[in-house]
Amino acid sequence: MVLIAAHVAGQPLQFPPIEFVHNDQPVEDIALGPIGSLYSFTVVHPGKDKPPYGLAMVDFEPGVRAFGRLLFDIEPPAIGSRLRVVPFTLPDGMPDYAFQE
Amino acid sequence: MKQPLITGVGITDFGRFPELTEEAMAQSAILAALADAGTQLSEVQAFYCGNALGASLPGQRALRELHVNGGAVYNVDNACSSGATALNLALQALKVGQYDTVVVFGMDHLSSLGGGPLQLSQKDWNNRRGMIMPALYAMRAKRYMHDHGLKLETLADISVKNRKHGALNPIAKFAKQATREEVLASRPVADPLTLLQCCPAVVDGAAAVVLSTRASKGVAKPVQVLASVVQSGLFETAPVDMTEAEITARTARLAYEQAGIGPQDLSLLEVHDAFTISELLYYEALGLCARGDAAGFLQSGAPALGGRVPVNPSGGLIAKGHPPGATGVAQIVEVCEQLQGRAGARQVQGARIGLTQVTGGGIWGVDHAACSINILSL
Repeated sequence: MVLIAAHVAGQPLQFPPIEFVHNDQPVEDIALGPIGSLYSFTVVHPGKDKPPYGLAMVDFEPGVRAFGRLLFDIEPPAIGSRLRVVPFTLPDGMPDYAFQE
Repeated sequence: MKQPLITGVGITDFGRFPELTEEAMAQSAILAALADAGTQLSEVQAFYCGNALGASLPGQRALRELHVNGGAVYNVDNACSSGATALNLALQALKVGQYDTVVVFGMDHLSSLGGGPLQLSQKDWNNRRGMIMPALYAMRAKRYMHDHGLKLETLADISVKNRKHGALNPIAKFAKQATREEVLASRPVADPLTLLQCCPAVVDGAAAVVLSTRASKGVAKPVQVLASVVQSGLFETAPVDMTEAEITARTARLAYEQAGIGPQDLSLLEVHDAFTISELLYYEALGLCARGDAAGFLQSGAPALGGRVPVNPSGGLIAKGHPPGATGVAQIVEVCEQLQGRAGARQVQGARIGLTQVTGGGIWGVDHAACSINILSL
């Protein structure tokens, strides 16, 4: 699985992809990665009724930082770890992606 | 161009008051500020209201039962920067002579909203995937620890310092002192941040100041605003250094230039310590120390009461609480009282120049959406 960023002429790459452009500017799809580097992360503890979950900022070539859920078994990976993008379903049922070592 | 002065200040207790409304709290702060300024309500030509979480038309809601005379009311929502942004707008109107006396006030009543972190818009890409404000700052903390060897104990020491300050502040009803061990052992919120490293989620409060270009009739010496700057965040999708508080550094540069001073001239600061890591990042962004030296600056004792340049003598957001609309104005009230020698047990001796700094919110792609810095002097 790879993430797709958008490139509009004269603008930096954007992920998530831009939702609208003006004056019919062409938008180029750019595949990221597929392996990214973990810039930072946290584990959120929402409270006693909900399980903890990981969040991460991951840097991909060619120069995009993506945010998403971080999956791990026991301990989260260290900063600088190489992560791949995997399919993931958000708690509300929406099909999405996550990062995993 | 006219020179506006802060001629009176007023503030309510900051705490949990579910039996009150934000309107009642705002009225209390406004009436206290007017009494402090020796100004009648009928002399006020415009009101500037900072509010982030209340209903629409918050200023008019707060003012209607004071029976104001139908003059201008400006409602300002810039998230946590709302109150400070309102002050910036009021100064502009006074300087060009549109008005000669105005009131700036801010309030929020978090008891009405239940508990937990402030709700962020689910329209934002990151928020739909579980982002909350403590998590964003937790990631900054993790990276700062990685890059600069910051220790958990140093993060906790920010909370210990500000809680010690807050215990000296009679309006900080929610403030409780805590040891480093208690801070670290409190419930985890977003690693490495624990509950006592986050500003409390439910605190209500209001604050107000009177500004005028007329001769002051106030109880205390009027306060000058040497600089007032509002900036917005940059839209960034490329890898950036999350340990650099870029918007605060940029706003500070403009504010120091406007005031004709540098960080070495400051006697005290009130900064936006919503989380322990925030205050450390702002030491660097505001030029109190070099990049990467925040821990050493804290450990030197400089930002504690009695130190060279106390930071958050009021207790800050961590000890006092953070009703977002009120915070920017509350910081102004604190610095005015410090400059005027009216800060009681938390008085910074010989205070001459004070700085207030608030950031505001976070939206996808713009981690800090707003920042307001004011520099005040007698």
